[in-house]
Amino acid sequence: MRLDFGRRRLLAAAAITALAAPLAACGSGSGDGSGGGSADAITMWTFKAAHVKPLEEAAARFKAQSGVTVKVQAITPDDAYTAKLQSAAKTKGLPDVLEVHTLGEDLTYGGAGMLSDLTGKVDASWSGQYVQNVRTAGTVTPELETASKQPGSAYPGIKAGARYSVPFTIGAFGVVYANKTMLADAGVKDTPKTWEDLIAALKATTAKSKDAGGITVGLAAPSTGLNWMLHQLSYGTLGKDGYHGLFAKGAHGWNSADGKRVLSLYDQLTPYWTPGSQSLKIDDADRAFAQKRAAFDIGGTFTLAGLEQFGMKADDVAAFAVPAPKDGKAAGTGLAPFSLTSLSVTTQSKNPDAALKWLRFLSQKDTAAAFAKAATDIPAADLGADASAAGTAIGALSKTLSTGADAYDSSDHSFMPAQYTSNIDKLGALLTNMSPLKQASVDQTAKRFDELVTEYWNAEK
Amino acid sequence: MTTASPSTTGPAALAGPAAAGEATPTGRGGSAGRRRRVREAVTAYAFTAPAVLLFAAFGLYSLGYGLALSGATWNGFSPHWTWVGLDNYLDLLYRDPVYAPIVRSAAWHTLAVMIAVPLLVVAISFPLAVLLNSARRLRTLMRTVYFLPFVTSGIAVYLAWQYVLQPNGAVNALLRACGLGTLAQPQGFLGNPDTALPTVIVVMVWTAVPVGTLLYLTGLQSLDPCMLEAAALDGAGWWRTNRSVVWPLLRPITAATVLLNLREALQGFQTFLVMTGGEGAPGGHTDVLGLASYRLAFLEQLQPTLGLASALGWLLFAVAVLLALLNLRALRSTA
Repeated sequence: MRLDFGRRRLLAAAAITALAAPLAACGSGSGDGSGGGSADAITMWTFKAAHVKPLEEAAARFKAQSGVTVKVQAITPDDAYTAKLQSAAKTKGLPDVLEVHTLGEDLTYGGAGMLSDLTGKVDASWSGQYVQNVRTAGTVTPELETASKQPGSAYPGIKAGARYSVPFTIGAFGVVYANKTMLADAGVKDTPKTWEDLIAALKATTAKSKDAGGITVGLAAPSTGLNWMLHQLSYGTLGKDGYHGLFAKGAHGWNSADGKRVLSLYDQLTPYWTPGSQSLKIDDADRAFAQKRAAFDIGGTFTLAGLEQFGMKADDVAAFAVPAPKDGKAAGTGLAPFSLTSLSVTTQSKNPDAALKWLRFLSQKDTAAAFAKAATDIPAADLGADASAAGTAIGALSKTLSTGADAYDSSDHSFMPAQYTSNIDKLGALLTNMSPLKQASVDQTAKRFDELVTEYWNAEK
Repeated sequence: MTTASPSTTGPAALAGPAAAGEATPTGRGGSAGRRRRVREAVTAYAFTAPAVLLFAAFGLYSLGYGLALSGATWNGFSPHWTWVGLDNYLDLLYRDPVYAPIVRSAAWHTLAVMIAVPLLVVAISFPLAVLLNSARRLRTLMRTVYFLPFVTSGIAVYLAWQYVLQPNGAVNALLRACGLGTLAQPQGFLGNPDTALPTVIVVMVWTAVPVGTLLYLTGLQSLDPCMLEAAALDGAGWWRTNRSVVWPLLRPITAATVLLNLREALQGFQTFLVMTGGEGAPGGHTDVLGLASYRLAFLEQLQPTLGLASALGWLLFAVAVLLALLNLRALRSTA
């Protein structure tokens, strides 16, 4: 059939329009709930799926109180969250509120101009609701600004004094979870209090069950072994000064006797890793522990929520901080809580006042307690004497934490080269090659650690 | 069946002889003819414009953006790029003591994948296609079964492989049940540094064999039966016919299969990302260049390494072009 030219032209125009329409849709807009809310509605994105339901419950109470609707959306995993934010920032599609890693995305996004500076808006009556040592979390210190000017910094552009977030959940890395039943079956009566106790307990549980009696962590993310176990073990063994000395510029601490000693202690775990731990992701390792395929699981205070999601009861678990050896210089000092996740208001928010009200609402004691109980996470809000309102699991976890001056503080990076924390997976991979893979000796690992730390120092101006 | 020559395709042909500058059959010419030629040319370009626009938007723009990015450091968020010229390329190739060793290690792993996957795919696909082509019964059923891995490929299948390869997974259980416990891997096939990369290669081959087999089957069915009959009359048996007649005749298909799998081996990373994680577990023993590029772009904890990721992508592109040229030359010499 021959079409006349007019009809063909019409057809061509229609084809072009049809193809161009999706392109136009790629432009700015807010059809998916992003791009800020209206006067009585705001949107919030989080990278934690477990936080969605508790936040929605809080949002329902917030709506009853303020009339503002909060729409909560989870975007997982972390790399998808980052990519989504990258594209949303470019297309003016950011939500009103973001949940971010404290001293992570808040600084990066804040330095890039994506987050509102909350300085002056978070007054003393607001920040006073948080536990003492996280009240200023999210505020840029002069040290952070200096570090931001180093080559390779993940957060260029931040200014000292600016505040890009307020704390939301707190906790610590370096909590060991043990299955109480498996400990009892292996004749282990007490929760390990020293490193030697832990190794002895592992010996007993693996003797009872060769394949399921060991310890696990998601070593497919190799930083876990380093950041959740070796750092804490090093601190407990060498004390604060000795631990800081491992990272001192020009000291070659990791390749010293101290460095080799802590690596040797860590290497004692090698026979006791549950089979396949080196290829498990973090959630897979937690699931294996919850399903009694491991007697011990390494994590942080946030791990308990995952274990409960996988069907384990909090009462079946004993939680303790990574123990120091008997002759350790900082034995039993506990883990200092720090802000794990924070809340930020984006600069693209069309309703920043409502967003701020939502942040303040979440910081209130009763809201935080309800959230903590539903999410099995420790809130940044100080629950004080009402801590029991957050449930027994949170109460048990809180015992691993300490606010003492000698407690191990995972958030203190002031003595490390600026690039160390950003590249922690690279050192973690070296550690995994030593234990459990046995591909490198303690000496080889110590030498390579030293080379990388030295390189990170050399990269600084 | 007639085949279109190259000159009968493309915008000029679509617009007809008038657009190609020939005299119209009516011989009228003049302004009416010119108007008609212009209208037809506009119509042709209007139909090709969407594709051109799409390529300009998603192809040229992305290429240019990526090339520019490879000369800068940026974390994807900060408002400004820092220009570093060719530093990213030099850092990746030899200069940076943090990244260069990782790239070197990933390059060796990638090379192993590039050699093993195409060779194994050809070694399995060709005999399989010959057998399927000669099957008299249940031919369609068997072809469907062998094509299933391609139809079902994807994240779910890689996750399923991950589970069956675990220490307590189905593969170890099967080996032990068959009395082959010594071949079982107590740490899982993906947990042992010596077996992790070969295991992922096996999964990649499993995924690629169906397409290879399909290509060979197509080739086998387009062979002139007279040649096979002539070989049989000359006394060639099954083995000799396939080795000396069929295999040489299907060499272009072998080249295409090898090229397709080389490209996937060089640039693909999704199998590794799903099965062994972003860091190439265990301990980086399954890290490949495609995965390293993805990690530099999205998994470096917001460090300004997008430029490094782009530079690594361009290095991979250069290798891919080189391989394509070599393949083209090999095809020409075969012809």
